[in-house]
Amino acid sequence: MIIFDKASVTYPGGVHALKDLTLEIPDGEMLVTVGLSGAGKSTLIRAINGLVPLTGGDVIVNGVSVRGASSKQLRELRSHIGMIFQTFNLVKRTSVLNNVLMGRLHSTSTWRSMLGWYRPDDVEIAMQALERVDIIEKAYVRAANLSGGQQQRVGIARALAQEPNILLADEPVASLDPPTSHVVMRDLQRINRELGITTIVNLHFLDLAKVYGERIVGLRAGELVYDGTGAQADENVFRDIYGRSLTADDLMGAPEPAPATVSA
Amino acid sequence: MTTAVPASRRPTKPRRSPLIYVGIAAFIIITLISVSERWGIGLDIGGIIADLGRGEGILRQMLNPNWEFLPRVIEFSSQPPFVTGPLVETFQMAVVAAFIGCAIALPISFLSSRTTVPNRATLAVSRGILSVVRAIPDILYALIFVAALGIGPLPGILALIFFNIGVVAKLLSETVDAVDTGPIEAVDAGGSSRTQMVRWAVLPQVLPNYVAFSLYAFELNVRASTVLGIVGAGGIGFLLRTQYAFRAWSNVSVIIICLFVVVFLIELVSIRLRRRLV
Repeated sequence: MIIFDKASVTYPGGVHALKDLTLEIPDGEMLVTVGLSGAGKSTLIRAINGLVPLTGGDVIVNGVSVRGASSKQLRELRSHIGMIFQTFNLVKRTSVLNNVLMGRLHSTSTWRSMLGWYRPDDVEIAMQALERVDIIEKAYVRAANLSGGQQQRVGIARALAQEPNILLADEPVASLDPPTSHVVMRDLQRINRELGITTIVNLHFLDLAKVYGERIVGLRAGELVYDGTGAQADENVFRDIYGRSLTADDLMGAPEPAPATVSA
Repeated sequence: MTTAVPASRRPTKPRRSPLIYVGIAAFIIITLISVSERWGIGLDIGGIIADLGRGEGILRQMLNPNWEFLPRVIEFSSQPPFVTGPLVETFQMAVVAAFIGCAIALPISFLSSRTTVPNRATLAVSRGILSVVRAIPDILYALIFVAALGIGPLPGILALIFFNIGVVAKLLSETVDAVDTGPIEAVDAGGSSRTQMVRWAVLPQVLPNYVAFSLYAFELNVRASTVLGIVGAGGIGFLLRTQYAFRAWSNVSVIIICLFVVVFLIELVSIRLRRRLV
């Protein structure tokens, strides 16, 4: 369970990225947040694992206050939260397996991690994570030699290797082409359903949000402007979230796997 | 299809700052003062031309190298260690100093980068120490260590170690400043410690650069150790100093030729290796 309790984030430059946000996310939910760039989607996600410090209110994750957490508590909290990034954030010069094993660092001792002597159990977990996203054959390939879609699946495997109960995905398909985007989104959906991991995904394509979001949360200028199911979110709702009429750029436009019902 | 842009919207070319002309003028004036006889070092071109012939005798001896002297520089044998002599000693000094210096430079460079040390106080301390290490020239280190420890290769090695720490830590910390921060965020988000983050998100990104900088340090060492030897810090430089003192120019020229060959070969290999790395 993740609870936003009047959470606010003001960046040092004076930008109010999140304003008094109150939101409850029950365990096992697949939540999609939508909004224009700068609306606060990334900040919302990073407030959950403390990568962005709160300046007001609080976020409670599995009963732990993120704002009050010491750096040790924060590390403990983060070990249960996997994260996926728009730019994949892999270390390109090292192997896929080494990248996935970085998800096991939280339970690896300092000397073991210095030497790269991961326990066999941890290597097994990493291998299984690669199998789950169907990219196990690339385990010993350098990450730089993979395509964008493959790199993102390695990113998902790295997050899964943490054995998390929450998965945060910050624009996971923004750097991918439409068919690959669906592959990655279906991976996330499958992980959410099969493993019961609470999944929070930022998206800016409305048709993708409607297809994959059990629940959609709309943000505008750091404030919550919509909270409802994907089915309920029609054109008027999105127009309201965006504060302008919709254009073709707001849609990815590849009707796969289910036909999109939002029209521009 | 040429649609004219309204002229009013075109930006005017910004005027160059007059400061650049002031700078060029100042540079020229300082140079002129420095070479003038009255206020500066008095660079006298005419004198140089007039004295051109004076070194003729020395030069003639140098062009006639005394190859009998070669075994004093480097000697080959069929028994291990196969090659001996001051030239080998210089090479060994360079290797040992590069190894130790670069090993010490690695953690220091991580402690001196904004990327890996967010704490400003820690950063200021480690950068301060690094600046002091770099501010002292290698020859001064050698003079200090020769005075403290006596003549021999050990003070030379110590001087080179400090020299290498300065060079490699500076270059590497700048490389660390410029790494891709995406993997750092990813590893941080996974709940790992700072040490683990440096090991897995930063080190793999800078490793090829580190190896290249270490090779470069070794390359510099071979050259520097020659100069250090002249102040008594062992190796070929020390032999050069004694032969110079005896005015044995045909022996000096053997040393110079040997040095040239070794430095040239090492650079050739090192530059090739470095190009493949980065």
